[in-house]
Amino acid sequence: MKLYEYQGKELFKKYGIAVPGMGAGPFVVKAQVLSGDRMKAGLVKFAANLEEAEQYKKELGGEVLIEDNIPHVSEHYLSFSYDTSTRGPVVAYSRKGGTGVADAAITPVNILDPHLPFEKDSELSIVAGKLWELFISEYALLAEINPLIETVTGKLIAADAKIIVDDEKTDPGQRRFIDMGGDIAVLASGGGASLLNIDSLISAGGRPANYTEYSGNPPAKVVTELTKRVLSKEGLRGCWVVGGTANFTDIYETLRGFVDGLREVKPKPGYPIVIRRDGPRQKEAVEMLNEVARKENFDIHVFGAETSMAETAKIITKLAYGDSR
Amino acid sequence: MAILVNKDTRVLVQGITGSEGARACREMLSYGTVVLAGVTPGKGGQSVENVPVYNSVREALLKHPTINASLVVVPARFCLSAGVEAISADIALVNILTEHVPTQDSARLLALARAHNVRLVGPSSVGIISPSLGKLGAIGSSTTSKVFTPGPVGIISKSGGMTAELALSLSRAGLGQSTAIGMGGDQIVGMDFADLLKLFAQDKDTKAVVMFGEVGGTYEEQAADLVEAGGFAKPLVALIAGKFTASLPEGAVLGHAGAIVSRGRGSYDSKMMALRKAGVKITSTIEEVPVILGELIK
Repeated sequence: MKLYEYQGKELFKKYGIAVPGMGAGPFVVKAQVLSGDRMKAGLVKFAANLEEAEQYKKELGGEVLIEDNIPHVSEHYLSFSYDTSTRGPVVAYSRKGGTGVADAAITPVNILDPHLPFEKDSELSIVAGKLWELFISEYALLAEINPLIETVTGKLIAADAKIIVDDEKTDPGQRRFIDMGGDIAVLASGGGASLLNIDSLISAGGRPANYTEYSGNPPAKVVTELTKRVLSKEGLRGCWVVGGTANFTDIYETLRGFVDGLREVKPKPGYPIVIRRDGPRQKEAVEMLNEVARKENFDIHVFGAETSMAETAKIITKLAYGDSR
Repeated sequence: MAILVNKDTRVLVQGITGSEGARACREMLSYGTVVLAGVTPGKGGQSVENVPVYNSVREALLKHPTINASLVVVPARFCLSAGVEAISADIALVNILTEHVPTQDSARLLALARAHNVRLVGPSSVGIISPSLGKLGAIGSSTTSKVFTPGPVGIISKSGGMTAELALSLSRAGLGQSTAIGMGGDQIVGMDFADLLKLFAQDKDTKAVVMFGEVGGTYEEQAADLVEAGGFAKPLVALIAGKFTASLPEGAVLGHAGAIVSRGRGSYDSKMMALRKAGVKITSTIEEVPVILGELIK
């Protein structure tokens, strides 16, 4: 989870890292949004006095942070994150702040016996030590100060804060959902297979409406809710339920959950639905789906392991668009 | 001879009294793998499938000194302490199935494993199977015994489901497997593609390897670096997922915790370019894998 700048700065205060205060001005007025490069987007304003700052605050709208615009002699970059080439934490530091991690020197940190590559007892070493403490204690994936400004007296102050906290610590097992802008709804299972299947759909000429994934052996209810969410989008032309051959997932239960969701979608989906799954209780699942299709008039096409996932990407694309694409 | 798991593997199951642990134990026993002991703190003296349960790894090792592999199937919040217990006891192979382990805990476990010269596979691993020789985890359950068959192809996969899909596709084409490993799709994992390729390079029964990778992290790029440096000279086929993520915002997380959308190194294009440059055969569908491999090892 990404924290807003003001939330990050609350954490900095907690760990003893200096942040700008609120004096007599001049001020900097910053919109609290999670997107990068707010400066370029015009979401950072400079005000000579409080009156001007309040004016900018109104203009920017939403959550806004007002703080001292502190005169400084230099800007630095400092961050801790995890790196997959060393498979451990790294510290990144550059004397040239503002630009980002690209110009920074990256040094691995031994998580079991941390030593930071800064001159002992220097102001920088002290700030880095506090940021490391925050990074570890808060289970951050990224703790970044950019810029870390140096005042005329040599004091280091965190002018910005970017913190990403590990969801696995705070909120494990989140279901990921991304709007993809297309018109074929996708219910994919398997972390890896779901990515491969979206690739296959696009390569077949299909336009995915969403990316989502459900793994493990989800209760029917979870699948029902996900189905309702995925099929709530307007302008859909098809639905693709796709997954591999499960070891333990009860396919009947999973697809019963899908059907329960399907029944609740308004208006009733008249578009083609292609289902490709296999695993325990597949036969019962196929019989149930065919019966629902016949009795309740849904355009459902069911496939098992004998038809590849990639093949069913072509099938749903063809059924969804016919010759009109 | 396969890698990591063979007929001499002697297993300890940490978290054996949980439903996942008990199932893994049952599946391993029915596959003919020797499970000597289990550990669940506070449940010492019980048994699961006639396998004795102990309160600690230390106690289990005292009674069963031939244990050489531990399967960790504990809830995520206990994973760090369970892993530390196994690694500190110098069990040669520690395979963590637990999902949703915080990145920091994985980094600690890996650092400790390196210090103890212990082979760590996972977290979020689906297990390891050397068909007909043995397995760690419930991978290749008895109901799907046709999925994994013995033969010359090694499999390394970031995804548990794709491990089985690849094996099934290979087995149908008459290409069996030496060892199939779910390395896990987290940001920080124990053994990565390059580590496992080095083992497969030494294994004379492995004639070729197929790897399943996806966007995020640099493990695919590091595998390419290894091949380019001559560290793995056998035929290698890579199936890489997530081409579509080029249009998604940087930092978005997909199915696995490590599948983080990135620009530059870590992106689909970066992986493709690195693997292609190293001479690795690349495909975008499961079905092409046995076709390409069949050509390479005929």
